[in-house]
Amino acid sequence: MRLKRNHPPCVVGCFVAALFAATLFPPFAFGETQKRDLPPRAIYVSPEYTGVTIPQGNDVSIDLMVSNRGQKDENLDLKLISVPDGWKTWIKTYDFGVTGVHLKSDSQKNLTLRAEPGKDVVPGNYTVVIQGQTEDHQLTSTGQVVITIQEKTEKKRPEGVNIVTSYPVLTGPTDAKFEFSVEVENKSDKEGIFNLAAQVPENWTVNFKPAYEDKFISSLRLKAGQSQTMAVEVKANPWAKPGEYPVGVKISSPEAEGQVALTVILTGTFKLDAGTASGLLSLPAVRGEASLLSFYVKNTGSAPLNNVRFISFQPENWKVSFTPESIDTLAPQELKQVEVSITPAGKALVGDYSVGLRVESGTPPKADKTLEMRVSVTASAAWGWIGIGLILFVMAGLVFLFARLGRR
Amino acid sequence: MQGLVAVFRKELQDQLSSYRFVILFALIAMVSFITSYMAAVHMRENLESLTATRFPFLMLFSTPGVMFSMVQFVAFFGPLIGLVSGFDAINRERAQGTLIKVISQPVYRDAVINGKFLAGVTTIAIMFTAILLVISGFGLSLVGVVPGVEEILRLFIYLVISIFYIAFWLGLSILFSILFKSIATSALASVALWIFLSFFVSLGAEVAANTVVPIDRKNETPPEAVLQHARIQEAVSLCSPMVLYSNATATIIDPMRKTTRSIILMGPMEELLSTRFQNPLALGQSLLVVFPHMIALIAITVICFAISYAVFMLQEVRT
Repeated sequence: MRLKRNHPPCVVGCFVAALFAATLFPPFAFGETQKRDLPPRAIYVSPEYTGVTIPQGNDVSIDLMVSNRGQKDENLDLKLISVPDGWKTWIKTYDFGVTGVHLKSDSQKNLTLRAEPGKDVVPGNYTVVIQGQTEDHQLTSTGQVVITIQEKTEKKRPEGVNIVTSYPVLTGPTDAKFEFSVEVENKSDKEGIFNLAAQVPENWTVNFKPAYEDKFISSLRLKAGQSQTMAVEVKANPWAKPGEYPVGVKISSPEAEGQVALTVILTGTFKLDAGTASGLLSLPAVRGEASLLSFYVKNTGSAPLNNVRFISFQPENWKVSFTPESIDTLAPQELKQVEVSITPAGKALVGDYSVGLRVESGTPPKADKTLEMRVSVTASAAWGWIGIGLILFVMAGLVFLFARLGRR
Repeated sequence: MQGLVAVFRKELQDQLSSYRFVILFALIAMVSFITSYMAAVHMRENLESLTATRFPFLMLFSTPGVMFSMVQFVAFFGPLIGLVSGFDAINRERAQGTLIKVISQPVYRDAVINGKFLAGVTTIAIMFTAILLVISGFGLSLVGVVPGVEEILRLFIYLVISIFYIAFWLGLSILFSILFKSIATSALASVALWIFLSFFVSLGAEVAANTVVPIDRKNETPPEAVLQHARIQEAVSLCSPMVLYSNATATIIDPMRKTTRSIILMGPMEELLSTRFQNPLALGQSLLVVFPHMIALIAITVICFAISYAVFMLQEVRT
């Protein structure tokens, strides 16, 4: 019995102890084991990138990670033990340079490594070595960055002026105005006056205008970093043949220059003109008789005109004919003479009539011109003479009567 | 020649001092003045529309005042001047026995008829020129428009045609005074012929045209038939000196009139294109249009006088 009595507390005590061990010890046991896993002391200095490439003239800023993986807090001295010639290199945070850093156990700090190449640094590979050392000189860690400087391909570009356009190709008829919108940017750090120049085909005109202003300019003052939009107005030679024409715009100052290539595509124009040599648009005509008039037809466009034909609007019973009846092709600037014969009807009333002469080219007509002629129809004076003859005949009869019967 | 001048002078004296002339002149002048005055007042009320016309002065003569215009009035009643001044030219001398007395003087027989005719024409010319000038003066003061050179020329041609027209009626009445011994008969014959030629010829023309080309008023007639109808009517009515005269003067006085015909056939294009320029005719063209009418008027006047001359010269004077 005794034994039996003694047993239960012992079992309970064992259970409780086990429960304790199960509930309380494991966290302790874990913490203990992790801390215990860390090495007593460990430091690392490592840059974010170990190799970078920069164009010549640019600077480098790289994150530098310094970490303490040991159980003990550490004070670290940071040093750049290898710096290439001509380079200016230092470690910094946001505000100041850094030579030492305090790191708690199992923590990390981000610093910045800044490297500026001197002006005479030639392209090539440069290595910067950073060393971190504990205060007691027992632990040392080094990291290195290889910086490759590349030779610049366009030498003047970053220091000069930039000129760009969104729409480098414009299409239109020959007589249109082509207006390119061009943006000019002064990339240098100095204010400057830039001269504008353009290279165009012969007899073309180019004007430079400020955006939204109707002034012609030939130079431009730009502050450092300022950019401005301006218009390049191109007028083609009115007699230029249809086709593609390059227009080069150049902007230059003593220090820098920029260029942009623009293109104008001419589609040509269809235009024709007609008129009489003297400018007179009136014509006398005797009824029933043909009267002749010559007028010219001129192609004032820049594209050849095909199938030029003549149409007339005249009163009924009138005859209007053209010689030649039509012209097959009329080259640009070509002038041709056309004879027109207008015959009023034999019974037309005297007075002024309007007769329309229309010149048309192409089907459907691409170009046309109407001449309105004022035709003054007059009566023939032939019957007048017959009438006067009749009167003379009657008078002669009277005179004969006087002579025959008079003096009685 | 001396005889002609003497007869001409005496005859002119008689004409101008006779009551007959004064009454006739007063009548004609009064009606003309009233007509032109009405036209002038009408024009002054519509001065704005005058700017559109190129020859406002001529409108004094061509605008109807009360019932007819000055031109129409002269066409109807102008012949009366000629008839009244000539119907007793020879037979009165005969009846009073003065013709033998004149011829027994050293005066040739042809001087008598020539002098009488010339004196009559001169009287008519004086009368008509005076009326025309007074109306022009009216126009100047009432309307305030000054005639241009072309207007004056047109008025002058109008005057010449009018004198020839009235001279024709004078010649006709002198012919009747030679043919008929009785004054009353010759007066009656002249007036009868005047009424016939002036009023009945146009009625006869209508009848003749209707006979040749009947026009049915109810049904559509082709335009060619209407045109032919108008042609025949115009051709027949041209037998009347009054139609000749009014056609000629209307075209001379109104420069916008391009033909003497009343109906013409025009295509739509022709109509459109001819109305594009609303231009008056040049004087030369107006003259050419009415030249046949003028020739006909002058010819019948000369022929009429020639017949009277021949009849008078061959007649027995002493009985």
